[in-house]
Amino acid sequence: MNALNFEIPPGTAVAVALPDVLPAVKPRRGFIGLIRRYPTLAFGSAILLIMLFIAVFAPVLWTLDPTAIATSRRTREPSLLYWFGTDMLGRDIYSRVLYGARVSLIVGFAVATLASVVGLAIGLISGFVRMADSVIMRTMDGVMSIPPILLAVALMALTRGSIGNVIAAITIAEIPRVARLVRSVVLSLREQPYVDAAIAAGTRTPQIILKHILPNTLAPLIVQASYICASAMITEAILSFIGAGIPPATPSWGNIMAEGRALWQVKFYIVLFPAVFLSLTVLAVNLLGDGLRDMLDPRMAKSV
Amino acid sequence: MLLYVLKRLLTTIPVMAIVALFVFSLLYLAPGDPAAVIAGDQATTAEIEKIRQSLGLDRPFIIRFAEWGVQILHGDLGQSLFANMPVRTMISERLEPTLSLLVVTLVLAIFIAVPMGVIAAWKAGTFVDRAIMAFGVFGFSVPVFVTAYLLAYVFALRLDWLPVQGYTPISGGLLPWFANLVLPAIALGCVYIALIARTTRATMLEVLQQDYIRTARAKGLALPGILFVHALKNAAVPIVTVIGLGIALLIGGAVVTESVFAIPGLGRLTVDAILRRDYPVIQGVVLLFSFVFVLVNLAVDLVYTLVDPRIRY
Repeated sequence: MNALNFEIPPGTAVAVALPDVLPAVKPRRGFIGLIRRYPTLAFGSAILLIMLFIAVFAPVLWTLDPTAIATSRRTREPSLLYWFGTDMLGRDIYSRVLYGARVSLIVGFAVATLASVVGLAIGLISGFVRMADSVIMRTMDGVMSIPPILLAVALMALTRGSIGNVIAAITIAEIPRVARLVRSVVLSLREQPYVDAAIAAGTRTPQIILKHILPNTLAPLIVQASYICASAMITEAILSFIGAGIPPATPSWGNIMAEGRALWQVKFYIVLFPAVFLSLTVLAVNLLGDGLRDMLDPRMAKSV
Repeated sequence: MLLYVLKRLLTTIPVMAIVALFVFSLLYLAPGDPAAVIAGDQATTAEIEKIRQSLGLDRPFIIRFAEWGVQILHGDLGQSLFANMPVRTMISERLEPTLSLLVVTLVLAIFIAVPMGVIAAWKAGTFVDRAIMAFGVFGFSVPVFVTAYLLAYVFALRLDWLPVQGYTPISGGLLPWFANLVLPAIALGCVYIALIARTTRATMLEVLQQDYIRTARAKGLALPGILFVHALKNAAVPIVTVIGLGIALLIGGAVVTESVFAIPGLGRLTVDAILRRDYPVIQGVVLLFSFVFVLVNLAVDLVYTLVDPRIRY
């Protein structure tokens, strides 16, 4: 018998009863779901992971000593023996390019981290301490009106070329942007009702900063940090390329291109390989940044 | 309006002072003792001390900074440590190539990027939009010297359409001048084009949703007129802002582009100065570019009133 309690003539097609509750539309969770929703994020991280792998395992990836000079094998074209060819001093470019990933990644991550931390501190102080605000912001304006690459170049001229100095120089040039971003977020958060409520409830300022302001600055800060990482990698390469960066013997993509500069019209491969690796890595970081922005800050994603 | 210009000029003074302080500290902190250099190897400590006093190098930082500031205001940027020439002369000799490069890049970039952004916004979500936005990401990611080498390799070396390197002064004919600048300008402009196109698209997307755009369409106005007159005018403020801010990118990129294309401009001067640690020259170039950048941003603020009459000061 059926539920309605009447006879169904034989031979009639009967629709299958619908379940009381339709199954919920389940967005795919976990790893694959994440890749589907944020393809740029996934693609960027994938390339970046490969670069990280290359950087860490450079010594075992069929490389030679990247600083070994051998005049007998100068400027060889790419071949089975020297995959990316050799430079003017006979150094193996494949090895130098792989080791060069280390410099780029270290500089990128170090600058992104340092600039974010210092910029965050400056931005928080500027947003909360009224007295300091105008002095800090005018200083930041001053630093920002020196084009970042020129500022880094000028700072590098003061010291000798080393990876630590390059990181410091680029960090100083990037700090104002972070500080401004954090300050603007802080100023808009301070107007939020929940912050008023916290103040009314007698919460102390450090608590407010730590519990209410800081967590909300993190999303835009992380997105900004990834863009800073990308631009730091480019700036490092530029500094090394014009001879104001990492010491020339150290394999870095900028240095390899600098060595290829004199010969680029005849030996284009010397500049080509580091150029491709550098561009790919920066692209990966930028895609990661775009993906993070879409994920963490949907409002911003819509407008840009 | 005039009052606003004056006010705005006044606010640039502290910014410029901070830039000047920064740049002066650079020379102050620079390793090496000019007095010892001038005195030579044979000099005794007393002799060096005497030269130091005669140069005023023993006086406090603030006083030296003030004196240096007065010098700068008189247009005196000091003497090069190597070329035995005033820095001002060195800079003015190299000014034309860099200025040409920057202006050509600026014009090319604006004429390429703005229509790109407008079309991307109009065709939002389609293949055309995606292609333009993909170019935007690439433009941001490929460093200027990579684009420079690739362009030079393909269009100058392989196809032989344009000169590979060098610079022809504008007095040597407009066409050779331009031919030498096309590749460097496109290479340098890539990041800038990406930046402007992205901003243009974002603002245009908002503007195109406004009622007056629908009205204009309903009236039957031609599409190009709507996009490039009605809409673009109302989207102009953020675009002009980013064009101004992006000049910093151009200035930094010019240093590299000039090295790749062997253009004897300020960028090359900077690179040579770094390699020789010629601090007064580095100082002069940084100071000049920073002041230019501050003035550009001032100009941008004033252009607002031209593109958007609703803004009044």
